Amino acid sequence: MRLIDIARVVRSKNAGPLHLTFDLMFADRASYDRCVQSPELNAGRIAPLYGVPEDSVRIQPYPVALAVKITLPRLMPAGSPGDRDVYGAQQHVPLLELEL
Amino acid sequence: MSAVSRLRAHFAADPSRPLKLVGATGQLGYGIPAASLAEALRREPDMIGADMGSTDIGPTFLGNGEMATSAAQTKRDLAALLKGARSLDIPLIIGSAGSAGAGPHLDATLAMVREIAREEGLGFRLAVIRSDMPRDVVKAAVRAERVTSLGLLEDLTEEEVDGASALVGQAGTEAFVRALEQDPDVIIAGRACDTGIYACIPQLLGFPLGPVMHMAKIIECASLCCDPGGRDPILAVLDREGFVLESMNPDRRATPMSVAAHSLYEQADPNEIIEPEGRANVAGAKYEAVDERRTRVAGATWQPAAQLTVKLEGATRVGERAVLLAGSADPRFIAGARDLTEQVKGVVQGLVCAPGEEPDYSLTFRLYGLDAVYNWPEPPAAPPREIFVMAEVIADTMDRAMTVAKSTKQYLLHLGFPGRLSTSGNLAFPFTPPELAAGAAYRFSAYHVMAVDDLAPLFPVAMETIG
Repeated sequence: MRLIDIARVVRSKNAGPLHLTFDLMFADRASYDRCVQSPELNAGRIAPLYGVPEDSVRIQPYPVALAVKITLPRLMPAGSPGDRDVYGAQQHVPLLELEL
Repeated sequence: MSAVSRLRAHFAADPSRPLKLVGATGQLGYGIPAASLAEALRREPDMIGADMGSTDIGPTFLGNGEMATSAAQTKRDLAALLKGARSLDIPLIIGSAGSAGAGPHLDATLAMVREIAREEGLGFRLAVIRSDMPRDVVKAAVRAERVTSLGLLEDLTEEEVDGASALVGQAGTEAFVRALEQDPDVIIAGRACDTGIYACIPQLLGFPLGPVMHMAKIIECASLCCDPGGRDPILAVLDREGFVLESMNPDRRATPMSVAAHSLYEQADPNEIIEPEGRANVAGAKYEAVDERRTRVAGATWQPAAQLTVKLEGATRVGERAVLLAGSADPRFIAGARDLTEQVKGVVQGLVCAPGEEPDYSLTFRLYGLDAVYNWPEPPAAPPREIFVMAEVIADTMDRAMTVAKSTKQYLLHLGFPGRLSTSGNLAFPFTPPELAAGAAYRFSAYHVMAVDDLAPLFPVAMETIG
């Protein structure tokens, strides 16, 4: 099953001008567990989607909100010439196809 | 007696009473829903706060000194809050004035506040916190290796410090508390941590800082922590152990899940809130429903920092920006768009530069429909029916940028290629001129942490009597 099929929210946003942060949120415990336990949810799979080193990707389960947070560095500071998404609010899309 | 003195006297008489705080808006200047604000005032809060700025909007506003919001709406929002706070004689605290909180933003905000006071016949004591960083102080810190990179941007240099169009620091709760001690009715701060707006009065009154910072971090976004999230004012009722949240829009419910989830929003780590003076840990916080629309939160802890720090934000001008806006529906042009836009770069260079001369400008294409928002490694499985073509030119002067944009427009419009059917033009312009002058372009040149021994000299407080 793909992330787009089981998540309630998949969003991206700047966390300051140097980082992108992604929140995957689920409607129920089973979906959350499926995501957290999936072998697809790892830095080695996610880093190439954003062109960043594997050791710069941080994945953090946040069970109190049935959510998973992913934080990684931007390719350039927000709003520098060449940036594609100043707020970082449309960078979640490549995650939607993750097979969980 | 000022609004702050009055509040301190109330708490001296009854130290166990709760404190009622209203987070009016997370981004003043886009409009505050009137019915929700009226409801917030009806609850007779002890203070009203509002945040005006962020780095979200990019480096340009910090660099050029302008507000991201319209002057008319900003003044309308300021007037609504000033009148509301003065009608109840309670403190109004506003942070990150004028979108980016540098001197020009703060001064423009203060000018509006004075104008509103004159028009509405309001009188009050105003405290002003400035956040522009003295360049010599920052350069001394650079030399002493007390400025740390947060990654991505390299170590700060003295040249970058001198070259920045604007350089501010984020004032912490400390600066707001110092302002409160001057006995104001209204505080307007330059660039500031949004938490400081809401944490300063509780800190002055001796509330434990763990729950205070947790509350401050939530209510600075107004009703965004609710289900559904929104921009209406929110009320927090704070006691010595925790706080209860309630949106001032009856359609928004603060549920344990929606409030807990808010800790994720725009934060690199949902369990920590890092401030100049320390950090709050919210990992052990408990969220309990009071009823359908209210949630009580308790359990966050506070760890004072071993070293005081200031987050620096600097913006540096990189040139003048011109943009070209066009579209295409032609399948042959769309099929070749990636190559054709690369090709036209060379054509344009030959037109606007002397032979053998390197371009003195940058020309970047974004092909919406193909790979503009995200740099997809593969073309789409099926070609899109239409694409939008945006060209961005950055050059030293606007004349030069527009020169490049105009030649780009004409030569992309008429660029020939094998199989071309539409020999009268490759592009549709939604209006003319399709080349627009977008003003100066900037980049964030500083987003670093500076270790300091004393915060107070960096964020001076000045008092002013209005009316």
